[in-house]
Amino acid sequence: MNADALAGAGLWWPYLLVIVVGFLPSEVWRVVAVFLSRGLDEQSEILQWVRAVAIALLAGVIAKLLFTPPGVLAAVPLAGRLVPIAVGVAGYLATRRAIVGVLAGEAALVAIAWWADSN
Amino acid sequence: MRPNPPHVSPRRRPATGSGSASALVYKRPMGAGNTETSSDRAAFWRGARDAMILTAWVLGFSILGVGSLARDAGFPAGAAVLSTIIMWAGPAQTIFFASIAAGASLPVVAFAVTLSSIRLLPMTMAILPLLRRPGQGLATQLGAAHFVAVTMWVEGLRRVPPLPAAERVPYFFGFANACLVVCTITTYVGYFLLGALPLPLAAGLLFLTPVFFTVSLVAGARSLSDWAAMALGGILAPLCNVLLGKDLDLLAAGLIGGTAAYLVGKTAGARR
Repeated sequence: MNADALAGAGLWWPYLLVIVVGFLPSEVWRVVAVFLSRGLDEQSEILQWVRAVAIALLAGVIAKLLFTPPGVLAAVPLAGRLVPIAVGVAGYLATRRAIVGVLAGEAALVAIAWWADSN
Repeated sequence: MRPNPPHVSPRRRPATGSGSASALVYKRPMGAGNTETSSDRAAFWRGARDAMILTAWVLGFSILGVGSLARDAGFPAGAAVLSTIIMWAGPAQTIFFASIAAGASLPVVAFAVTLSSIRLLPMTMAILPLLRRPGQGLATQLGAAHFVAVTMWVEGLRRVPPLPAAERVPYFFGFANACLVVCTITTYVGYFLLGALPLPLAAGLLFLTPVFFTVSLVAGARSLSDWAAMALGGILAPLCNVLLGKDLDLLAAGLIGGTAAYLVGKTAGARR
């Protein structure tokens, strides 16, 4: 399957692909979760474990994005990706406002990327 | 051990006595779960308004890239927008369009998508019990589950528990729908716009996801187990990436790191 084949394959084909190859394999886990979580109390032991696994997964996603970054983010050196994360957390902890943390981290990254790009 | 009991008193609502909205909703007969009340509407719009302060924009900007990826893969703009509405999972959408653009066969694409979306299972399981109400139908639960993506989960976990039980579902749907509307528009915009951006700004857009997730995790952390899970997941994912490869690394980091963090929390809680 490539872009040219896709473009020539009829009007509804790309939409069908999104539904069958994108939506269904992704949505199945949400549906399974609905049935698995039935009857579980929000304070139950199993959900505390599930919560820990979910947090560890998300931390893993973040680490992956930082260590093997997508696209042009790879043009910024590793330290230039890690320092802005620390700036973002510091910004949040100083003000207790998520938007301040995100903007501080973003400002640090764009500044470093600008510097790296012009060197 | 946890600071919050299941029904925390409402944080933002002034104590106006017995005429509060939650008391009204509780008097509704069973099976009337689909009847909209004015307090439901108020909670829905408050959720939507809270989303528009930051979260919807972070999601919206981070989904711009999916639009441009879809164009590179030869999809029409409508299919990019459809993927945002029905898939509602940025990483899965990225994998879907990127691997099709790379010429992968369709079963391989479907497998990669499903592998990346396993993360939605524990996240959905963790948030649905917070949204449960007496007499709630399966359709409402499936609808709520559909809106669970990484950002919705991390934000929901932080915002939903302090709300009165009756306001949680409409608040969640208001929050999620505001994000969905913004993301639908930005997917379409990204389809035509991206690629024209200078490098530092394009890098800044890609950086939005990790910095927002990090700040959200820090803001939502409530227990030792939460902090341990964060640290262990962050350390184990790159390690597992080297040891197990790029398909199973997240799953392994989540299961091992999460289980260890859960045990750390238990041990520390028992010692106290």
